[in-house]
Amino acid sequence: MIRGGSSYISSPPAFSNDAKRLLVCTANTVSIFSTSTALQVASLEGHTAAVTSVIVVPGTKVLCYCWTASLDGTIRYWDFSVPELLKTLDVKMPIFSMVIPSIVGQPAESNEKLTDVFAYLSIEDKKVQENRPKAMHGQIRKCNLTASRMVGGLILKETPQPEFITVSSSGKFFGIRNKRKLHVWSVPAIDSGRSLAKKITLHHSKTLSVLAFHPTERIVAAGDVTGRILVWRGFGYRTFSTGDELVNKEEEHPGVRGNDDADSCSTWHWHSAEVKVLSFSSDGAYLYSGGKEGVLVVWQLDTGKKKFLPRIGSPLLCFTDSPDPTLSSISCADNLIHMLEMPSMDILKTISGIKLPHSFPGRYEGLSSGFAFDYTSGLVALRTESYGIQFYSLFDDHGMYEVQVCERNHQPGDEISVVVILVALSQDGSMMSTVEVKLPEEGIGGLVCLKFWALGSENKKFTLSTVIYEPHRDAGISAVAFHPTRHMAVSSSYGGDFKVWVCNDEIHQKGQTLQNSGWACLAVGAYKKKPMTAAAFSLDGSVLAVAAETVITLWDPDKNVLLAVIGETFSPIVTLSFAGKSEYLVSVSRDPKPQLSVWNMSKLSLSWSYRLHIEAVACAVDLLSFAVLALLPESSMCTESNESMSQGRDGAILLFNVMDPVPVASWSVRKAKGGGLSFLQGNPSFLEENISDGNAPKELLVYVNGDHEYVLFDPYSNEANEVSMARRKGLVELEETGQVGYASIYGELPEFKRNQTSLVPSVPSERPWETIFSGSSHNLPPLTKLCAAFLESLMEKRTAAVE
Amino acid sequence: MAEPNSTFKPIKPKLKPKPRTPKQTPESKYWSSFKNHQIPDLISSITSLTFSPSPPHPFAATHSTSLKIFNPQTLSPSSTISSFSDVVSSASFRCDGLLIAASDLSGLIQVFDVKTRTPLRKLRSHTRPVRFLKYPLHDKLHLVSGGDDAVVKYWDVASETPLLELLGHKDYVRCGDFSPVSHEMCVTGSYDHTVKLWDVRVTGSKTVMEVNHGKPVESVVFLPSGGLVATAGGNSVKIWDFIGGGQMVYSMESHTKTVTSVCVGRVGKENVEEGREHRVLSVGLDGYMKVFDYGRMKVTHSMRFPAPLMSIGFSPDCGVRVIGSSNGVMYVGKRKTKEENMESGLRSFWSLGVEQERRVMRPSYFRYFHRGQGDKPKEGDYLVMRPKKVKLAEHDKLLKKFRHKEALVSVLGNKNPENVVAVMEELVARRKLLKCVENLDNEELGLLLMFLQKYSTVPRFSGLLMGLTKKVLEMRVEDIRSSEALKGQIRNLKRSVEEEIRMQHSLQELQGIISPLLRIAGRG
Repeated sequence: MIRGGSSYISSPPAFSNDAKRLLVCTANTVSIFSTSTALQVASLEGHTAAVTSVIVVPGTKVLCYCWTASLDGTIRYWDFSVPELLKTLDVKMPIFSMVIPSIVGQPAESNEKLTDVFAYLSIEDKKVQENRPKAMHGQIRKCNLTASRMVGGLILKETPQPEFITVSSSGKFFGIRNKRKLHVWSVPAIDSGRSLAKKITLHHSKTLSVLAFHPTERIVAAGDVTGRILVWRGFGYRTFSTGDELVNKEEEHPGVRGNDDADSCSTWHWHSAEVKVLSFSSDGAYLYSGGKEGVLVVWQLDTGKKKFLPRIGSPLLCFTDSPDPTLSSISCADNLIHMLEMPSMDILKTISGIKLPHSFPGRYEGLSSGFAFDYTSGLVALRTESYGIQFYSLFDDHGMYEVQVCERNHQPGDEISVVVILVALSQDGSMMSTVEVKLPEEGIGGLVCLKFWALGSENKKFTLSTVIYEPHRDAGISAVAFHPTRHMAVSSSYGGDFKVWVCNDEIHQKGQTLQNSGWACLAVGAYKKKPMTAAAFSLDGSVLAVAAETVITLWDPDKNVLLAVIGETFSPIVTLSFAGKSEYLVSVSRDPKPQLSVWNMSKLSLSWSYRLHIEAVACAVDLLSFAVLALLPESSMCTESNESMSQGRDGAILLFNVMDPVPVASWSVRKAKGGGLSFLQGNPSFLEENISDGNAPKELLVYVNGDHEYVLFDPYSNEANEVSMARRKGLVELEETGQVGYASIYGELPEFKRNQTSLVPSVPSERPWETIFSGSSHNLPPLTKLCAAFLESLMEKRTAAVE
Repeated sequence: MAEPNSTFKPIKPKLKPKPRTPKQTPESKYWSSFKNHQIPDLISSITSLTFSPSPPHPFAATHSTSLKIFNPQTLSPSSTISSFSDVVSSASFRCDGLLIAASDLSGLIQVFDVKTRTPLRKLRSHTRPVRFLKYPLHDKLHLVSGGDDAVVKYWDVASETPLLELLGHKDYVRCGDFSPVSHEMCVTGSYDHTVKLWDVRVTGSKTVMEVNHGKPVESVVFLPSGGLVATAGGNSVKIWDFIGGGQMVYSMESHTKTVTSVCVGRVGKENVEEGREHRVLSVGLDGYMKVFDYGRMKVTHSMRFPAPLMSIGFSPDCGVRVIGSSNGVMYVGKRKTKEENMESGLRSFWSLGVEQERRVMRPSYFRYFHRGQGDKPKEGDYLVMRPKKVKLAEHDKLLKKFRHKEALVSVLGNKNPENVVAVMEELVARRKLLKCVENLDNEELGLLLMFLQKYSTVPRFSGLLMGLTKKVLEMRVEDIRSSEALKGQIRNLKRSVEEEIRMQHSLQELQGIISPLLRIAGRG
């Protein structure tokens, strides 16, 4: 089993002391990347919930210790060179942020006198939840790490939500933002359990979003939601002074609100939207800021002059300085961490995670083919917000490369107006097709564009082959599917027709560049002017199935002849898929009456169906099985007796044999909405791991959830007795990480069966004429309908007999 | 690894569809590489054109009562022979290019020295006009001629006597050619529709082989292999296999009027396979020159001239192609040959060497410090490339600075409709187009309206521009009313839209007529 695809940007990363490694919080683990190669070298595993803070203990370059805090309520101390867990503290409340000012302030001299190390935690108190209407969930608390206990009863501040704590690099101050206020605490010089940090509050007229401390001077900068940057200079002389300093109360404080304790406050305004990143350079001469625009702005602190690093391509989330002054990193919202060479601001390396889901405007929300899987090489193609396709290796868990579909400058702050809505890969992964849509401005200028890409022979990257503007006039495209063996594709549109495209790259001139290797339309088909909602080729490519809303039309792709029409379903079909080499076709329809149907192609009739909301379908290539990702209905979630088991699990993967409506296996999953499912060919490296089982999996099932985290596993491993051990081992891991669980869901299955019997009026079996009239009379459809079905079944029987 | 898109991407207009077949095949490129020259003012039609077999291949043209020899480099007449009493019908160079024979309609054949233009021999035997004469390929002593007396004569030139009188044609003999492989075989074509192959060794003046073209034969030529013969007559050029017993191989019928002359041309290119390089060039009264590839049986190039064409010649070194028309104009196509190129290259090389010798670089001289910068990299050299700078157009620069209206105005002034539409599409994507339209002042609005009037009915752009036109009129109705100039623009716009609607109506009518026919055809 392989899992991966976690977000690298959930919390700020940290550099090791020699700046050669970067510690990144990736869900339940901390991944350690090399900064020179941008590849993962190790990971710290142990937390059972998302890690929120990682703090490297400063010191000499060989020192490799770090503290981590997690939502599971523990703080752990690691030696990350080995990597090894050294110490665990249980706080019992989810920690959202942790700072340890004392170790930051006194580098390298820590072993002389072993003072207690205090951490300040931002935690969420769940007990408060029900008591008050204006509940304050967030608390700032203090914790003695050396003695492994919380400093009792000491709550520095309560906030509505847990806040992110910012600490100054000198370790003297730390602070949080709280709506329109900034709370700054001064850390006592000799910290002990009892000593209370002094607090000042700075006010502003807008909601603040981020703050940063100057490394040496008493300067604090804060950004607000309107894009302003406020710089308070000389804060806290009154409150934090030890008494012997002279405080001049009559002095003018330009820009400072009310009775705030600061000398002056100046405002800079360049950002047009919320400031997300603020950071001082280590020498304190510059201030870095960034936000939604994806531009890193460098302010000269004394003059306010600006320098820019534009077109990073995605909103910035965090800026991290390293002990090496020439290296720093920025985390972007599209799951990238760029290594910057500092004075010149060149991007040296990029750690690229899987692209995170992004919102699609209105009517493109529900499209299921958000992912395209490369069956042989184990890649997934995801659409990115910057009009591209990312290829992510599922076996290696890192991004391979990106293909820019639309040659356009991406401005992250803008309204979404250009969207890649579809991506399809051919079976062998050598061809790709994308559909992009330009949304019109008040009805003018909309454009649908179909593009075909071919995989280059040397560099293994896709290059553009053909562009087709408005392939179905102005109608949107619902699906694109490739022929499994030939250079042929089909695109179906809501405008009521589908087109078969062929690639005519046969025209080679000897010794010359190949001419005319483009895709051209071979045939156009339509069925009763109905919108075509889905399309699929059978595995041998002899039949093309196109869904015309509620019915399925079968075509000969070469001659473009309508072979048969089967149907119909209650609501429009959104996905069609042939189940391997079998004669069965799987269709999925969604709202208002969701349905999963399996059709028998030789009998041209419905084989069986469920009333289930299906998110994704995957069909195995060789075997007669297919898997679906079903969203659990609301009702079953509520009636679930075991509350803790069902927590957060809103979907299930069901593995079916096409002949049999009873699932072969099932797994319950989290965040199934917007998820994807596919079979992949077993990777050789993965086979080696499981070779001890004596039964190497031929096909693996990959599940990508709504947050683009994925898991790869062998769906058939339970079928043979001798591998049952291996299977159980895999399950332990499944349950432990809380993403899938087998036994708990298996009991639910009769419920689906009940649905089946009550909702599908004619349950077809081998002898449908016997079952048509069975069942209670109030459940039976009207006689007029039944009669036709009955006669039809008889007719079918006779043809079968003739053959 | 993903690279950040740190360079600004300029906007690109939509791609235009490429034609299915490439516009120019390499061969048609070759044929159009002959640069056209005209030699006008020859009197009456040019009856024949012939090239000297020896370099530099001067060519002779016969017209009215004179014979002109042209220099192939300068295309100017180097000498004129006019000692003829009647219209000159045909001329032929001897194989060494020193002598030329010419016949005229009085029945007289004369042999001239090319240099001195003195008539050396006069062959008198034909009683009627002589239509063709031909020297064999490697034989300096004999020639063959034919004429309206339907007799083909084989002459011994030195003694001015006909050795053989080949009888058999029943009508005027119009043309003939010697075999390229044997100087004893020749073909003749006649108005009696037949082409006859003669062998001068066969006694009794009997024809060796005879084929029937089906139309009066105007021209006949042996193809370089010696086994195939191309004949022209009527609208067709036919290829015959004489070794295979006189079968017709192919009949090219792409001329629309009588084909008057054929000759063999060559595609002088290295990458064409051996044996594939020869073509049959034919000209006809329809004014077309056709290039026929008899290997693939395909017309590979076609060229039109503004007059009926009478004769064609092609120089053996592929440098010159001459076509004579019936109104006394010669169309000469001339290619730059390789030797010329080489010569000029050689010259420049030498001159460069001399220059370098003269100028010795010293550190006192500014260019000393730039020496070597113009050097071309050698094959094994490692190149350190400077990142290519993207050249941005004016509107791209403005778009980069988010000055949308200025960008639109700037591109409207540039008169490139593709770019204008691309900028508009980019503005739509940025949701700024309508705001731009709103902010245009009257002059700029006039510019936009002018553009819309011109291009809003172009099918490629109309999807966007029709919608935009409507919006513009809605939004700026007040400004348009108040300005006389803008009103004029609107009138023009209205006119062009009305015209488009009319066109659409007529097209629809046409479709209405056609579609039932198609339906019926489809059913059948």
